Amino acid sequence: MTNIENKIFSSYQKDATLYDEIFDSEGQIKEVYQKLFSLYGEHSIKDYVNLNSKAKASFFNQGITFQVYGDKETKEKIFPFDLFPRIIDPTEWDIIEKGSIQRSKALNLFLWDVYHDKNIIKDGIVPMELISSSDNYLDQMQGLEPPEGIYNHISGIDIIKHNDGKYYVLEDNIRCPSGVSYVICNRTALKRALFGVFNHYQTYSVTNYAENLLDLLETVKPHGVDVPNTVVLTPGMYNSAFYEHSYLAKTMGVELVEGRDLFVENDFVYMKTIKGPEKVDIIYRRVDDQFIDPLEFNPDSVLGVPGLFAAYKKGNITLANAPGTGVADDKAIYTYMPEIIKYYLKEEPILNNVHTYHCSRPDELEYVLKHIHELVIKPVDEAGGYGILIGNKLSDKEIELAKNQIKATPRKYVAQPIMSLSVHPTYIDDSEEFEQRHVDLRVFTVLGKNKEFVLKGGLTRVALQKGNLIVNSSQGGGSKDTWVLKSI
Amino acid sequence: MLARVANNLFWMGRYIERSEHIARYLNVNYFSSLDAPNQRSQSRQFVLQSMLFMVGDPEKDEEKTLKENEVLFQIGLDHDTPYSIINNIKYARENANSARDLISTELYEALNKFYHYIVNYSPENFVKSGLHDFTTHVMETTDIIRGKIRGTLLHDPVYAIIMLGINVERATQIIRIINAKYNDALNSQGGYEDKFSKSFEWTTLLKSAESYDMMRRLYKKTPTSVSTLEFLILNPNCPRSIMNCLNEVYKLIKVLDSTTKYNKNSTAFLVGKVRSEFEYKYIEEIEGDFQNFIEKILDDLSQISLKMEKEFFNY
Repeated sequence: MTNIENKIFSSYQKDATLYDEIFDSEGQIKEVYQKLFSLYGEHSIKDYVNLNSKAKASFFNQGITFQVYGDKETKEKIFPFDLFPRIIDPTEWDIIEKGSIQRSKALNLFLWDVYHDKNIIKDGIVPMELISSSDNYLDQMQGLEPPEGIYNHISGIDIIKHNDGKYYVLEDNIRCPSGVSYVICNRTALKRALFGVFNHYQTYSVTNYAENLLDLLETVKPHGVDVPNTVVLTPGMYNSAFYEHSYLAKTMGVELVEGRDLFVENDFVYMKTIKGPEKVDIIYRRVDDQFIDPLEFNPDSVLGVPGLFAAYKKGNITLANAPGTGVADDKAIYTYMPEIIKYYLKEEPILNNVHTYHCSRPDELEYVLKHIHELVIKPVDEAGGYGILIGNKLSDKEIELAKNQIKATPRKYVAQPIMSLSVHPTYIDDSEEFEQRHVDLRVFTVLGKNKEFVLKGGLTRVALQKGNLIVNSSQGGGSKDTWVLKSI
Repeated sequence: MLARVANNLFWMGRYIERSEHIARYLNVNYFSSLDAPNQRSQSRQFVLQSMLFMVGDPEKDEEKTLKENEVLFQIGLDHDTPYSIINNIKYARENANSARDLISTELYEALNKFYHYIVNYSPENFVKSGLHDFTTHVMETTDIIRGKIRGTLLHDPVYAIIMLGINVERATQIIRIINAKYNDALNSQGGYEDKFSKSFEWTTLLKSAESYDMMRRLYKKTPTSVSTLEFLILNPNCPRSIMNCLNEVYKLIKVLDSTTKYNKNSTAFLVGKVRSEFEYKYIEEIEGDFQNFIEKILDDLSQISLKMEKEFFNY
């Protein structure tokens, strides 16, 4: 393949040490991207600037925004969206999909075990301290049967491609993973801006998420309910993910409720409608465990519903995800995932785990302290990319500080080799050029009774700052439309 | 539908409607005063006082000289006055935000764009030369939004609640406008031939209610106090009349309450009662006791609103 003449990529700089998703090591464009590359080449960078600003305005007008709190006024911002899509070919996707389901199922079995017989601990595979010392372990869940035995109905699995070309899982999110609405919005925005590129590829649709979610949630309805009444529970419109909550409620065709719309009577949950109380059976809650019921958890919570947990205990409602799932998406548990998968499913893990050092183990703590400059240090119980330290980016002073922190509370930290996230050409506003930026992929899986669903798309997140490896939107990340191909 | 969300949608309708009437009142009164036939009606102070009276914040100190740019800012774009147009739009959008799952994307997008237009409008421009541009935009956009409400929503209880908000607010605002212009007509009686019943202010009143052309078509005469009030209060075919609003409210409340024999404590019962009383009113009766009439109908409307709160918005 000769080099295709392409104006908008003429100044694209390729760093040979990084794994570029569209160019191979010889600088040749990879097969799946060839058509897309030449189609984009028909545009000038000027067209591109124009399309980019139109796409932004479309997000803004639709109110797909989040709030930034300043000193004087709150500003609304859109999540940065990149017009160059990421393509995943069918063979690779097959691995991702099977691997994600495997993990979700293993995590579900693990949760059941942790809250029942604890065989995995008795068999010496996972240490007890890891469970009992986790902030997300809920004593109240001990011995409880969630409807149809499902805990993590919805999982968001964060996957990266390392410079060896293989996929690795970085994190399993099984509390209230967010981002799925952006998968769909990104697709809509890209279709509006560059409709001409779609008919050259056989891409899976992503708009079927909500109907599948509702279908699967209804398979885990509480016992004795014929036609279940499902709602989405949101902390309210000032929550940064409120758009997603309203989007999911709207597309599932169910009510979007706040805690104050619900009440509990005789251990049944009702919502207050214009026609009086109406019974609720399935609650897809986007409120964290600690806030769902002030009688059982944080007594100061105004987001929750007093008595909700008692109704759950009686088996009168389904909560998705079940309370207490956080114990299994803890970064310390993550390191045992290969063993957990083998233990419950008697299968080899399909997706790789990143090797992890536990600071709670004395020998590994020593290794971490010695090699801190080549490791990523992660607090085990933080979400959203907070508190992550990247060893080779720290000053001597910061390294000392980090070491002291780790020594003080070793259980709080794990360390991993610095993974090289693959890069993808991303349009950068300031330079008006495409540049290499690191990306990851969040895959969404849904578990129901004897049924599962994986959204064929996922959220590709981009770290917009040059060289940055943290892709979370709260840390200035953007996103890309992600195409899963039916065939090449 | 959730009671809380129903309340929000009801108020979304009210705030959208309210912003339109305020914008039109500013526009019509300001521009018609420029070439009014008598000095009083032409006076800038007179118009500014009328504007403040209409939004319910009349200047009590008669000696005080009002400043045009201050009054316009206060009513148009001031974040600190609760009745300002900018606040009405802000509240409307906030209410829509909480009900995004129930309303159409098209409706939300129209309201959201409107909000961004208003919050980004330069206050300096507005008070200096933007009055016409700004108020026209508000009037046009509220029409677009009402079009989206009618044309993109399911005509179910969600729609009924929003339209109830719109119609209750429309009746309330039309009464406020009538009251303000009635007051102006009383105050502007001067020499000339400009007696109360033939005051120039009746024309301004009809224009403030976007009803001038149709009134002329129906009566074929220069508006007088009697014909104007009759048209705006009692004519069931005038889409801005109080009678028309009450008829709409009566139709809409039936969507929420489908019983035929109403409980005497229900909103539907109260609406039916107010509407029936109105049907048998005649204009001479109203004109004879105008202040009491205004107070009574404003009170009836707020009773309807309170009843709705109790019956449907209880959360």
